[in-house]
Amino acid sequence: MIPLEHYLYLSGVVFTLGLCGVMMRRNIIMMLMGIEIMLNAANLALVAFNKYMPPGPDGTVPMDGQVFVFFTIAIAAAEVAVALAIAVALFRRLDTVNVDDVANLRW
Amino acid sequence: MYDFMFVIFATFALVGGLLMVFHPSIVHSAFALVASLFGVAGLYWTLGADFLGVTQVVLYVSGVTVLLLFAVMLSDKTLGAVSILRCAAMGLVIGPLAMALMVTYRAIDGMVGTEGAALPDPAPTTPAIGDLLLQPEGYLVPFEVASVLLLIVLVGAVTLARPMADRQVSRKTIADRADAEARGDEGASAPQGEGA
Repeated sequence: MIPLEHYLYLSGVVFTLGLCGVMMRRNIIMMLMGIEIMLNAANLALVAFNKYMPPGPDGTVPMDGQVFVFFTIAIAAAEVAVALAIAVALFRRLDTVNVDDVANLRW
Repeated sequence: MYDFMFVIFATFALVGGLLMVFHPSIVHSAFALVASLFGVAGLYWTLGADFLGVTQVVLYVSGVTVLLLFAVMLSDKTLGAVSILRCAAMGLVIGPLAMALMVTYRAIDGMVGTEGAALPDPAPTTPAIGDLLLQPEGYLVPFEVASVLLLIVLVGAVTLARPMADRQVSRKTIADRADAEARGDEGASAPQGEGA
């Protein structure tokens, strides 16, 4: 049996990788991939916590962590659909997917 | 045995993530993302979340990644530098490999089932998740809200990525307006906020 800490360390490292991807890459699609990795790291931590939760008073195995992950997956799918539509529209209008070229709204 | 599986899937997740962040080619990054997501799916299995692992493969590894790859193809001008043939070959290697890994996992799982207590609970999680999602005292309301959200996203994504024709009309309108303003015509700039 693998201790909970191993999953949490792994989740932290994967989250950091995703954060690096978002910070380092300037391509909007690469940044989206980094966000996906970060969401997956969070999901992994949720499932790990769910697994190591004590059973309820009537002996039922708790499932709340896994249900949270389903909602996260649904929202991640929504996020990626809208963001990719924006990326495609951006490329059509401005011929770029580099976020540094789209800094008009930055103060 | 589960330690072994943990190490394998964790390596998938970590190496995939590393490659995704540091590989210069965006298509290779997307394939590395597939490896990483698959590793996370395997980790779900080692945690006893079988339905969630399958959902991860179906939704993320296939759905989201295909969407990402389509966006790459629609928006990356440097894509010609990457050989599609090599990507396909890579897929032909990775796909069966992943399949073999899953099958091996199930096979080993069956063989060492005698150890009993040390193994994760092999009970299927699907009925419990279904109960929780569809019971009013569970997560029924968030479930319905999520479905409304997905409908909104469907409409929004189509609106955002709508075809070029609409945009050309709006560009023409802007050009006409600019011409009219250059001629000193005040009335032509009156309709604000349309087609922008």
